[in-house]
Amino acid sequence: MSGAWWDAVVQAGAVRASFVPPAAEGRAADPDREVSLADVVEGDELGIHAVTPRPAPRAVTFLDGIEQWKVVGYDGVTPLVRARVAVAARRRAGDRRLATLAEDSRDFAVVPLDQLSPSCRAALQASDADVVDLREAPAGQPGAALDLARRAVDTARAELEKAIGEECAAGLGPDEWLVVDGLLSVSTVLARHPRVLGVIKSHGAQFFEGRHLERALTLPAAHRTSVFRVRGGHARTEVYSWYLRLWPWEGNDLLYGLVRVEAAPGAGALAGADAVSGWLARERAPLSTPDARFDRLLYPIHDVEQYLRARAPRDFFPGARTRLPRTGT
Amino acid sequence: MIDTPHRTPVGRVVATELKPATPHQFNFWTAVETAIGIGAIVKVEGGGAGDGERVVFGVVTDAVAYSDLQTPLHDVIGAEGDPSRAAESPTVRQEIRLWTAAVLRQEPEEPLQPVPLAEVFVATDADVARALRMETYLHSALPTAIPVGLYTSGGLESPVYLDAEFLLGPEAAHLNISGVSGLATKTSAVEFLLSSIFQTFPAHRGKVAAVCFNVKGPDLCFLDRPGALDDEDRRRYQRLGLEAQPFERVRYFAPFKADGVNLNTLRTHPDLVHDVEPLVWGLAEVLDFAEVLLNRDDIDAKADAFIDFLADRVMGRKFDDGFGGEHEVRSFADLDRLFRAIFDGLEAAGGGRGDMWRTHHIATIRKVRNRLSNISTRCKGLVTDDGQPNDLPWGKFEDRTVYVVDLANVDPLGQDLVFARVVSKLREHLEKQSLGVGTVAVFVDELNKYAPADGPETYVKKMLLDISERGRYLGLVLFGAEQFRSQVHRRVVGNAGTQVFGRMDSDELATPGYQVLSPATKIKLATLPVGELMVRHPHFTQPIFVRFPRPAVLRGRDGIERFPPVPDLAFEDAIARQLVGLDRRVKPNQVKDLIADREEEDVRRALAETRRKRAEDPFAYFRKALGGRVRPQAPRERDGVPPLNPISDEPY
Repeated sequence: MSGAWWDAVVQAGAVRASFVPPAAEGRAADPDREVSLADVVEGDELGIHAVTPRPAPRAVTFLDGIEQWKVVGYDGVTPLVRARVAVAARRRAGDRRLATLAEDSRDFAVVPLDQLSPSCRAALQASDADVVDLREAPAGQPGAALDLARRAVDTARAELEKAIGEECAAGLGPDEWLVVDGLLSVSTVLARHPRVLGVIKSHGAQFFEGRHLERALTLPAAHRTSVFRVRGGHARTEVYSWYLRLWPWEGNDLLYGLVRVEAAPGAGALAGADAVSGWLARERAPLSTPDARFDRLLYPIHDVEQYLRARAPRDFFPGARTRLPRTGT
Repeated sequence: MIDTPHRTPVGRVVATELKPATPHQFNFWTAVETAIGIGAIVKVEGGGAGDGERVVFGVVTDAVAYSDLQTPLHDVIGAEGDPSRAAESPTVRQEIRLWTAAVLRQEPEEPLQPVPLAEVFVATDADVARALRMETYLHSALPTAIPVGLYTSGGLESPVYLDAEFLLGPEAAHLNISGVSGLATKTSAVEFLLSSIFQTFPAHRGKVAAVCFNVKGPDLCFLDRPGALDDEDRRRYQRLGLEAQPFERVRYFAPFKADGVNLNTLRTHPDLVHDVEPLVWGLAEVLDFAEVLLNRDDIDAKADAFIDFLADRVMGRKFDDGFGGEHEVRSFADLDRLFRAIFDGLEAAGGGRGDMWRTHHIATIRKVRNRLSNISTRCKGLVTDDGQPNDLPWGKFEDRTVYVVDLANVDPLGQDLVFARVVSKLREHLEKQSLGVGTVAVFVDELNKYAPADGPETYVKKMLLDISERGRYLGLVLFGAEQFRSQVHRRVVGNAGTQVFGRMDSDELATPGYQVLSPATKIKLATLPVGELMVRHPHFTQPIFVRFPRPAVLRGRDGIERFPPVPDLAFEDAIARQLVGLDRRVKPNQVKDLIADREEEDVRRALAETRRKRAEDPFAYFRKALGGRVRPQAPRERDGVPPLNPISDEPY
């Protein structure tokens, strides 16, 4: 792209590069891999409840985001990262088709400004680019800088998701729902809204141990666990949650077809867990293939992701069958 | 409606390495709910860099739809094997409507470039005219546009015009229409188009007429009678700028039945039969076309020479048979008398010259005699043994008049004869510019029968080929119809500048002649509704689908119900009816009294003479002809003539 910030930096002395790290092709896994504590609020201990599929609400908005980044140059060994995050909310109503309700994106540079040569730094600042400064990046360690870049991009995506999500939540009609791909607890607004759900596909955070954990991870298909409270923290808002098995795991893996649902804490979540679970069970179809996560990825979320990828700049995606050997740091 | 500009794009051109946009074809997608369909005309406009000025018109030829479903198995899994549950899924998969369009026209035409990846619009009236290059003959100083139907797609209804220069000559000519019986509305389409021609044929192009051979049922028997139209038909006529009215001038011709007095047509209702003129030919009319009536095997040089001898040296002049007899051959009866005199003379002469007469072998003479005498038997009613012929008004054809020759119930041999002679006379008069009109459209149905791709080289087929290949220079234009185009002689269909297709048979569409059509177009052709046609015309680079209103004439079936044909009349009633047809003042009882106890042959001759003379007082003339000038003829002998030379091996 002529006139882009990285061209200016290259003209100022940086070396052009084109490298899409494997980690850049998807969002980062849940950052909380620790065991979090949770309190069962539905019954005395974590139980298993059968789920009967139910019709979905009349109107539901689904929110998801994507992040893309690539190394476009090096100033010495300092990587110059071009990043883009995009978020969309697509609403499904009576015709069962999804239409975009809101979307936003952000293109920015991720660089440790302090480590750039004066000429490259001047060129970058003169280009009027949106820059995220990797202040904590250790000098002369490109690998560590890239790891920090990934986290920065992830954070930018989460912020944009939060902004769009809160905007959508504010505009929800009386019978409308919002389903967010990921944690609700990152936003107080979302975590407190009675018709906003978070659907989490990855299970880096574990909330139980012992027999409760076994019950959660060996849930039969079309069953859910009791509702439990996920305690808040300095960056988290307390939410109610439960596990839901969409597809039989037997013959696959413990996590196959297992999602965790987050909802606003309160009696509403307790009373509505069956209904919400029944609706989400119905969302198993259509399958969101060819995505490898189809067992947990709701098709509307998959659709939002496809929508965002279809509108993303093509040069972020590595060629499917590149003729050149793939190299990288 | 309908000329509202459609400025909202309905689609966008897409191109991939596997499906690129080319100068002749492009792909575009639309919303799932769209008015676009196969046959729709679209406009591509507002391209990217460098393509801003380029406008491309295309016609949709194919379409695909698919979703993001990777494999059907995933749908089965999603519905857990229960089709009824598939509909319960809360979300409908993303799907695409991807259309393929063939380029009709690019502006500018040079340099010819791939279609720009731009927005796609539904064509407007003006766009349709530009896309089909109709503006050159629609808006020129001397317009030659003939409405053929309405292009209807995307909420649009635009008139489509043919160029008279390419429909009726001289640039190109002829029209061929194909389709299955009953559903393709071939006859209706031709009736409508003839009406359109008569209403819009430009005055500067001279006079035009049509000759229609009615070869089946009552299809063309009521062209002068108004038929039932609904509001939709009238609206279409109005949109096309045409009057919804039957033909103003129609003249019907039909041979007699074998009785020689009842017309061999279904238009015999008393209210209509008066304007059906008998088609009666004598020996002179037939002899020139004897080749039509003889089997191909019969036509050898000897027989041909003898027929020529009869035509040149014998017909219509005093002729000495060489045995002391003098003949003046004007009819089949006269000819038969000559033959008998020859056979008798040769038998009496005996000796070494018993099998030769005037250099013609007796066997050749017998062969020709047998064939010619058969004509009056097989085509009885059309060919008269002895009497006055009654023919089409050669030299007096009138502008915008349809001449219907009803051959529906005539022996196939007679049909061939009529067709060959009428077309030959048309050609002859058009060459001399003495027909009365400058252009004649000849409508022939059942080309599968008359000009088959396979089979013997019949005289009729040769005539059709001749019209197809040379007719446009003369103003002789063939409007042919058939069920199976692939089985019509390729030069007949290939020379048709305008080709029309109604609903087609799937097997027919599978033949090689239709390979240029896309599968979707074939499917559309196989399921075309009544009243819709696909048209190919020299100005159109791609086939176009049009709808036409029902012709404003009484359909054959309805006509038969409304004007049921009467049973054959008794001889005296039939004679009376025909005289009444000539003059309504004639009283039937007077006629019956006059012809009572008279020989039927005398009466027929007198009637034929009366009709030929077109006297002011037909009854008086008939009475005079019957009483004074018409002498009874000796009964015709049908006995075979014994061979002169019993030793001869000649089978004739």
